[in-house]
Amino acid sequence: MTAIVTAALIRDTFREAFARKIFWALFGLSTVLIAFFIFLMRIDVVEGANATVSLFGHTSGRTTEVRRLVDGAYGGIATFLYTWAMFLAVFASAGLIPSILEPGRIELLLSKPVRRSHILLGRYAGNILVVALNSIYLVLAVWIVFGIKTGIWEQQFLVAILTTVFIFAVLLSIVVLAGVLFDSPAVATMITVGLMIMSPILAQTRIMMKLLSSEWSRDAWRIVYYTLPKVYDIGKITLDIVAGHSAPDAWMPVWSSALFGAAMLSAALFVFSKRNF
Amino acid sequence: MSSEYAIEAERLTKIYRSRLSRREIRAVDDVSLQVRRGATYGLLGPNGAGKTTFVKMLLSAVHPTSGGARVFGEDASRPEARRPIGYLPENHRFPTYFTGFGMLDFYAALSGLDQATRGKRIPEVFARVGLEEKFGDMRVGKYSKGMLQRLGLAQALIHAPTLLILDEPADGVDPVGRREIRDILTGLEQQGVTIFINSHQLVEVELFCDEVAILCKGKLALSGKVKDLTAGKGYRLAAAQVPDALQQALCAQASLVAARDHGVEFQFPTRELANHAVDLLRSQKCEIESLIPTSSTLEEVFVKAVEQ
Repeated sequence: MTAIVTAALIRDTFREAFARKIFWALFGLSTVLIAFFIFLMRIDVVEGANATVSLFGHTSGRTTEVRRLVDGAYGGIATFLYTWAMFLAVFASAGLIPSILEPGRIELLLSKPVRRSHILLGRYAGNILVVALNSIYLVLAVWIVFGIKTGIWEQQFLVAILTTVFIFAVLLSIVVLAGVLFDSPAVATMITVGLMIMSPILAQTRIMMKLLSSEWSRDAWRIVYYTLPKVYDIGKITLDIVAGHSAPDAWMPVWSSALFGAAMLSAALFVFSKRNF
Repeated sequence: MSSEYAIEAERLTKIYRSRLSRREIRAVDDVSLQVRRGATYGLLGPNGAGKTTFVKMLLSAVHPTSGGARVFGEDASRPEARRPIGYLPENHRFPTYFTGFGMLDFYAALSGLDQATRGKRIPEVFARVGLEEKFGDMRVGKYSKGMLQRLGLAQALIHAPTLLILDEPADGVDPVGRREIRDILTGLEQQGVTIFINSHQLVEVELFCDEVAILCKGKLALSGKVKDLTAGKGYRLAAAQVPDALQQALCAQASLVAARDHGVEFQFPTRELANHAVDLLRSQKCEIESLIPTSSTLEEVFVKAVEQ
């Protein structure tokens, strides 16, 4: 019963994502990017080894330079995925929660023998899957294209899938809470994007500690920084890992963001369970 | 599911409070009612009477401020209580990205039906509500209002519920369609399905329901069997020059007596009593001015209840 209901809720989210062209827009964008690398990266192979690699007009023959080029491209894609694609995913997903709360639709959902938390979590999971599938598609395809063309198979690039889906799950929890509180995709988007934009500013903690004059303002800054999701920090960690560098303090941004996401989602479930429709 | 009642509402109350002024609106006020298993029950009331809020509390879409409700003996707030319920909301908004079959599949899955059962039930129910199979793969957004209403009924029936709660089921359906829906509901009633209708269409309710409750301003104004509530049916006899002794004798048999300008008017509940009265009046040379069959419709009962 639980599996049937969960599968139905996830399928429904996919159907709506397809109907709203969300899935296809993300999929199309990923495909354009993959095609870009397929056709723009030219490799001359001499006696089984890469003689020259040409990318973005830059030509290189040395193996170390080729690796640097590949790492750079991986970094670019990870950044794209993590920033612009994340913005697009948040914009696209913002409507998927309030849409089920529309009068005439929510009553029907609630009339079924399904817990309210199950309905909301089913939508949440469906939404994450939509974005996860697109991330997997883009990252895996680019990784395969680069691997085949350069012979360099750097598995750390695949970490971008995990971090992108993770931070999207955290951001989506804000969308869900704002959605059940305000029934408005616009408000849900504004709040989430606002937090995304604030993240790189808040991440400058060391500088701000020097700039802020009073202890209470420094405490306030720390509280806000440690409470809110660390989109920027996790993005930076992703880039470090993709580039093969060590990522210091990797866990604090991850667990504190996870905690924030869990708190947001719990609050959303609480609000949803108490609401009258 | 051992209770003899499909629905039991016990002092059900819903108070909405405005956030700023804290003004209270009692949407449903201390309503207690019981619906027997297998009954056809109509919930009536003017706009804003609290009918929809009452129904939503049965479905746990609205949380009661106080009191409680049970469905087949199960606390209505529990998800399991909704398993035997098929519900058709008023002003339903089905996602337009669904096809007819796709929508039924989704709601059937939410009711816990496995894929094999869904595959079997969907075309059956689709046909049962009078929708042609060719519309099954058509997007819901292209359905007419009448078709949407039938599709809504189909989703309510998809898991073979034992309690059907219908909010304005004939809304937007043409007279032929209304008749068809009534026939479907009659078939379900014969199978022992309890049918609870929330409607403005008094004639439909009178034709179909055994029992009704009338809500007014959130309170239960009246409830009972339709035949008892419309017992005002009978014959109105107007006569002149009626001697006092005879008038008193007839008063004992009449359900209503009213003095008129040139005589007196009696209301008799049966034809036999009316005929007997005519015989007595003629035997004493009284003038019979008129004899009219009358009926107290549910509409009259409704208006009276609401005005009181």
